[in-house]
Amino acid sequence: MKDLAPNAWWAGLWAATLAVLLALPFVANAYLVGVGLSLLMWLALTQSWCVLSKMTGYVSLGHVVFYGLGAYLVVVTWQQLPLVLAVPLAGLLAAAFAAVVGLPVLRVRGPYFVILTYGLAELVKFSVMAGEAASGTASRILFGTPELTVVYFAMFALALASVALFTWVSRSRFGHGLRSLRENEEAAETLGVPVARYKLLAYVLSAAIPAMVGAVMALRSTYFVVGQVFDPMISVTVIAMAILGGGDNARGPLVGVLFLGLLSELLWASAPLLYMIVLGAILVVFVLLVPDGLLGLFERPRAGGRR
Amino acid sequence: MSPLLAAPVVALAGAGLGVALYRGVFARLIARSAPAQAARLEGNSLLLFFGLSIIVQNVVALAFTPNNRAYAWAGDVLRLGSVAMTGNRLAALLVAGGVCLGVAVFLGRSVFGLAMRAVIERREAAQVVGVDVDRVQWVAFALGFGSAALAGVLVSTLEQFSPFSGFPFTIAGFIVIILGGLGNVTAGLVAALLLGAVETYGVALTSANWRSVLLYGSFVAALLLFPNGLFARRLRA
Repeated sequence: MKDLAPNAWWAGLWAATLAVLLALPFVANAYLVGVGLSLLMWLALTQSWCVLSKMTGYVSLGHVVFYGLGAYLVVVTWQQLPLVLAVPLAGLLAAAFAAVVGLPVLRVRGPYFVILTYGLAELVKFSVMAGEAASGTASRILFGTPELTVVYFAMFALALASVALFTWVSRSRFGHGLRSLRENEEAAETLGVPVARYKLLAYVLSAAIPAMVGAVMALRSTYFVVGQVFDPMISVTVIAMAILGGGDNARGPLVGVLFLGLLSELLWASAPLLYMIVLGAILVVFVLLVPDGLLGLFERPRAGGRR
Repeated sequence: MSPLLAAPVVALAGAGLGVALYRGVFARLIARSAPAQAARLEGNSLLLFFGLSIIVQNVVALAFTPNNRAYAWAGDVLRLGSVAMTGNRLAALLVAGGVCLGVAVFLGRSVFGLAMRAVIERREAAQVVGVDVDRVQWVAFALGFGSAALAGVLVSTLEQFSPFSGFPFTIAGFIVIILGGLGNVTAGLVAALLLGAVETYGVALTSANWRSVLLYGSFVAALLLFPNGLFARRLRA
């Protein structure tokens, strides 16, 4: 009974979140649907980030690169390629990009990996920017995008897929391999975990969903500015949400996204600078004082003692 | 106040901030982590300081507006033979060169510099042979923050700046450290000159649009191609 109660609590939270988000487009006004859409977006992004960074300890500060590439692909192929093709293609493209850059990038560890992923994202951003400037397009506007409900349910599907992916990874043999290399890469390799292959697979898996999220969000905003879809603050927000939640299963990011997502709705429009300060403070406080996140605070009494 | 007078004050304040952050924040992070997880500790400290810099940037933007500012100081052109230079650039060159030389001599010639390189190489081993690791670390924070603050003053005499204009300098600093190798100030100087040349001539040969591409491109290339620096001697056992 004692073991069952928290699980029932979690099942309830998941069910309630899904039910509210599913019903939202039918009952709420456009503003609330927009809030729901951004919650779904952050959920999809954060869960996919966790597949690499929570599981392996390789903290990526450049998750936005996939988001931006996805958005860019949809915008470039706009009205030349049907969306049902363009959006999955964005996912494939990002996965291929991750597969190509992954091998050299994942050889770099610790703080160098963090800053390398940031640099890589900025490099792609400025390259796209310079390319757009060379072709004379500063920004683009999309005409005839699908209506909000369609965008919303596409994002809903992506969020579900992202949660399912991370849940599968965190429970699978593959996931245990990732955890072992997070704790000690050399030891894991000695024990026969195919470290390089696992890391690369995790990187590729974590890349596809954010690209499709970026593609769908481009349809929502209907205009396209390079600096906006490659905004590093997207990466930072994802990290803050994941660290805030803690844990290495899909529950942590859910808590983090709900908490910070709703907070940002309250603060973002009225006090953007204050919101950034809160974001920075969350990074500092949680890295320093609450490394196991909100989830760790919840579950510690039950687990009895720390590792 | 003249920037030349402000510089030492700002550098001291920066050094004080460095020590305060070390005592208040970083020492805790170190104390909590197991030595086997050094990579994760360093990754975390990067996130930590990234978070801190976001806070500082936005607090400053709230207090002093987020706009670009600039002031004019010593903008007259000085001529020496065929070389022409504005006074502020000359001052920046001299001060920065002096600081670099001082730091290089301090780290390269003094016992303290030796201790610091020992701590970089292997913290526990340094502790075993009697290095006061804690002291080395706080002095390193003071030196690092102080000279960064000084560099900020120098930059402010040359360009316009905003609360958010620091990050490209962080990236440039990273490139120089990676190319030069950790704990090697002289190689760092060479790497810095190299980066400056790549940026200046790159922009001159292409266009200003490509400036950031060049900066981040050399950064990614540096990390992937020369993870141990341009001048790495193979000494890993």
